[in-house]
Amino acid sequence: MGSLADAILAGDRRAAGRLISLAESRTSDARDELEILYRHGGHARTIGVTGPPGAGKSTLVDGLIARLRARGLTVAVAAVDPSSPYSRGAVLGDRVRMMRHADDAGVLVRSMATRGALGGLSAATGDAITIFDAMGFDIVIVETVGVGQSEVDIVGHTEAVLLLQTALGGDDVQAIKAGVLEIADIMVVNKKSAPGSDRMARFLRESLHDRPLRPDAWTIPVLLAEASEETGLDEVIDALFGRLDHNRQDTHMSAIRRRQAAAHLTALADVEIRTLMRRLIAGQTRPEAWQAVLERRSGPYSLAARLFEQLR
Amino acid sequence: MNDQSTPIFGNLDELEVKLSRTKSWGGLETEASYGPADPQEPTYAKKLGDPGQFPFTRGAYPKMYRSRMWTLRNIVGYGAPEDTREGLEMVLASGGNGINIVVDPLTTQSIDPDHPAFGPEVGLEGCSLPTSRDIDRLLHGVDLSKVDTAWHWAAMAYPMVAAVHVMRGQPLATLQGSNMPDMLQETLCGWGERLVPTMLGHRTTVDEIEYSVRNSPRWALGMPQAYDLRERGLTPAGEIALGMAFINKTMEDLIERGLHVDEVAPSLAWVSTSDIDFFEEVAKFRALRRYWATTMRDRFGAQDARSMRLRIACHTSGKSLVYKQPLNNLTRTAIQGFAALCGGVQSLEACTFDEPVCVPTHEARDLAIRQQQILANEVGAARVADPLGGSWYVEALTDAVEAEAVAMLARIEQIGLLTAITNGTIERMMDEHNLLVQRELDEGERIMVGVNRFVPDEEPAPTRFTFDRTNTEKHVRRFIELKQTRDRTRWRDALRTVYAVARSGGNPIGPMIDAFVADASVAEVWGAVRVAHGYSYDPYNALEAPLDYAN
Amino acid sequence: MQTDFQAEQAEDQPIVRCLLGMLGTDVHSKGIRTIAQLLREAGVEVIYLGEHNSVQGMARAAIDEDADLVGLSFSSAAYVEYTRQLVAEMKRIGADDIPVMLGGIIHPDDHQALYDMGVRGIFGAGSKTADIIAFVRSMGRPR
Repeated sequence: MGSLADAILAGDRRAAGRLISLAESRTSDARDELEILYRHGGHARTIGVTGPPGAGKSTLVDGLIARLRARGLTVAVAAVDPSSPYSRGAVLGDRVRMMRHADDAGVLVRSMATRGALGGLSAATGDAITIFDAMGFDIVIVETVGVGQSEVDIVGHTEAVLLLQTALGGDDVQAIKAGVLEIADIMVVNKKSAPGSDRMARFLRESLHDRPLRPDAWTIPVLLAEASEETGLDEVIDALFGRLDHNRQDTHMSAIRRRQAAAHLTALADVEIRTLMRRLIAGQTRPEAWQAVLERRSGPYSLAARLFEQLR
Repeated sequence: MNDQSTPIFGNLDELEVKLSRTKSWGGLETEASYGPADPQEPTYAKKLGDPGQFPFTRGAYPKMYRSRMWTLRNIVGYGAPEDTREGLEMVLASGGNGINIVVDPLTTQSIDPDHPAFGPEVGLEGCSLPTSRDIDRLLHGVDLSKVDTAWHWAAMAYPMVAAVHVMRGQPLATLQGSNMPDMLQETLCGWGERLVPTMLGHRTTVDEIEYSVRNSPRWALGMPQAYDLRERGLTPAGEIALGMAFINKTMEDLIERGLHVDEVAPSLAWVSTSDIDFFEEVAKFRALRRYWATTMRDRFGAQDARSMRLRIACHTSGKSLVYKQPLNNLTRTAIQGFAALCGGVQSLEACTFDEPVCVPTHEARDLAIRQQQILANEVGAARVADPLGGSWYVEALTDAVEAEAVAMLARIEQIGLLTAITNGTIERMMDEHNLLVQRELDEGERIMVGVNRFVPDEEPAPTRFTFDRTNTEKHVRRFIELKQTRDRTRWRDALRTVYAVARSGGNPIGPMIDAFVADASVAEVWGAVRVAHGYSYDPYNALEAPLDYAN
Repeated sequence: MQTDFQAEQAEDQPIVRCLLGMLGTDVHSKGIRTIAQLLREAGVEVIYLGEHNSVQGMARAAIDEDADLVGLSFSSAAYVEYTRQLVAEMKRIGADDIPVMLGGIIHPDDHQALYDMGVRGIFGAGSKTADIIAFVRSMGRPR
């Protein structure tokens, strides 16, 4: 057992790619390998990058990779893009922006599609982190789709969440999604030369100032950057390391680890339960029962209750 | 250098396409143009006007091709300078009267031929011209104050050709020729932020136009370069919308630098295409001239008629041509060329029929020239200005194209052109257009002969252009040698000046000319500008800057 | 109802991961961008690399992305040489089992040489979208 895991522990990128694919298609073969790898992990520092589409997430990640590499750190990236809900296909284009690292053996980029996961993060995001961690990458970055639930889910998986915003597209500062203030550890107003950027940064700082102290006593920095021109990125890196250092304090770290394990567990259980339900619906439901629901002789409520009964 | 060829370049006047006949083929006499009984009728005067009258819908000049014939252009470029020179001589011998040079992708991207990654591409699809000495070789004996050379090449063409002129002891004010300084077009057409960052690209375009109109007023600027934008994926209306967005933004920035619209606009010529829908293309040229004239007058306060009178350089559409049964492309280009002439363009290049196959063979190039000679002499395409004006269909189509263009332009300008480029709006717009066209082809709703219908069975493979690579190999060795033997101090100081001026926010075009005179290469000069603006020296990240820019 | 069950089952079918990109200085990405969208609509996961990749970078991407196949588009005449370089690099890093397909302007005279190098599919000018999609989908590996 564990041939893929052995190869991955020896640094085999082909095997790592393979296992992520297996994890993505939720085959049971992957489970044992991941189980082994998980036990070897726990060393990588994890960073989440989120923000609305077009905010420049991939460009920022590209700039971060360059700076992390300059400090001698190896970096793995899981870049998530949406799957089509109709065809299940996807165009995963984040890699284009990170092309300058294509020849660097200290960088590994894996593009992942959401594949209908409820979040907007791929269900296998946690597995990718497990794999990269076990391979010995110093830093693992997860770049989210940037819509919907992914912005919240990323908090569970990583210990430093970087939230990008821009003042572009005529969005008023007030239009910043409710709730995003809660999740960020670092805020970056990207494309700072766009009109309104300073105003947006000011608004964010004021809003954060008014909020109660976080349980981990972390103060959220608000930074301005122009990722495409590589300006402001040194400040972002400093803030990131500030956050990682802050997390080194034992009490914080254990909270983060608990959160990460819970997120991973929830994601796995979620998939298992959904798969189980799907099989149950497909296998156990008699055509007559469907017909009855369709003709409104009975309702989906009692049918669902009956199926759940079998799950218990 | 092949000296016996020099006289050919000297006799360009004799090769000009001339209007051979004003009578119809059947012998009826014709007038220079036709129009309504009352040309002062308000709607006519406002929307159309006689040819040569504001808003120039019906043509730039009153007598159009009777007063000045279009320039029959044919692009040439492959291998080393010596190879391309040979090709130019053949074109001129066939009766082409413009020297149009296409440079290889490496040179256009400011990559030197000794770059470690791209050896197989040097000179393969255009002429390799990494230094001003190479341009001097190509145009040995050609007087750049008399002969009009047209360069299918963006920002670097002007400073490099200007450097040749300076090296020959000539003043910049007498320099003739043209290039296409439009860099944003490149950002959008596959070069991307990596090769041409939006902000740097736009800035360089503005720098170059500013410098060239101030110092070389006889140098013409093909701006916008809307041809590639159309090929990338735009409708005729989209061509006008995006092209005008480029013009408006560029003009605003030039005015901010203290230039007046009347100092700039007369030097500009629109680089356009002619696709397969004959009537729609005619309508586009007419709507374009009208919208340009109105914009220059009303938005920028132009007073000089030359600013409002748009000149158009047209190259027929390459993407409209089909690989299968390639001789059908002669039918296509003939109709596209005819549309361009009915639309009143000032210069015309027809794609060769083998465009989808390879770099043009000599035979294909010859046929492209013959085609225009047939249009000029037999068809009578040049006889009468705006021959389709007044057609209910063409006038309605002209209005419709303009209306759609105006609406699209408003959408782009509401976002802001540069933002619309960097945030992907424009790319998305073009991708959606291409996807729509492909779907229509796949579903058979749009039919192209030889693509999705009437596809011939297996046919013999088309003939490919090939040429001996010996000169190219020699050329690369010569380039490496030059880098070792040039005056290193002069070279270094010149590049440091380019860097310092660019870094301080000044206009680096003048120092770039000096650097080319000092035998700096195209990659070195552009690399200095890139580094000054915070980008890597080599966009492909395989090379380090060859010098320390700080003193 | 049967169709719904089938759709559910289809979700268990492996999804093909197809790397698409260009080599060299070629800027003509219009075609490959359109194909990327059409493949997406056909249920393929396209890892889009765009223009100007290095041979080494593309071979490494094939591995890191666990691609089922690599699709290259060319409109420059240097395709034989670049394809040769890519195939050699893939072999060097142990990715030569990943099939390679070519699209764009590929002259018939070169087909044999390209197949001899190990290229599995050639879709030159005038190829049908449906044929390209069918080929890509046939390259999925069992998971």
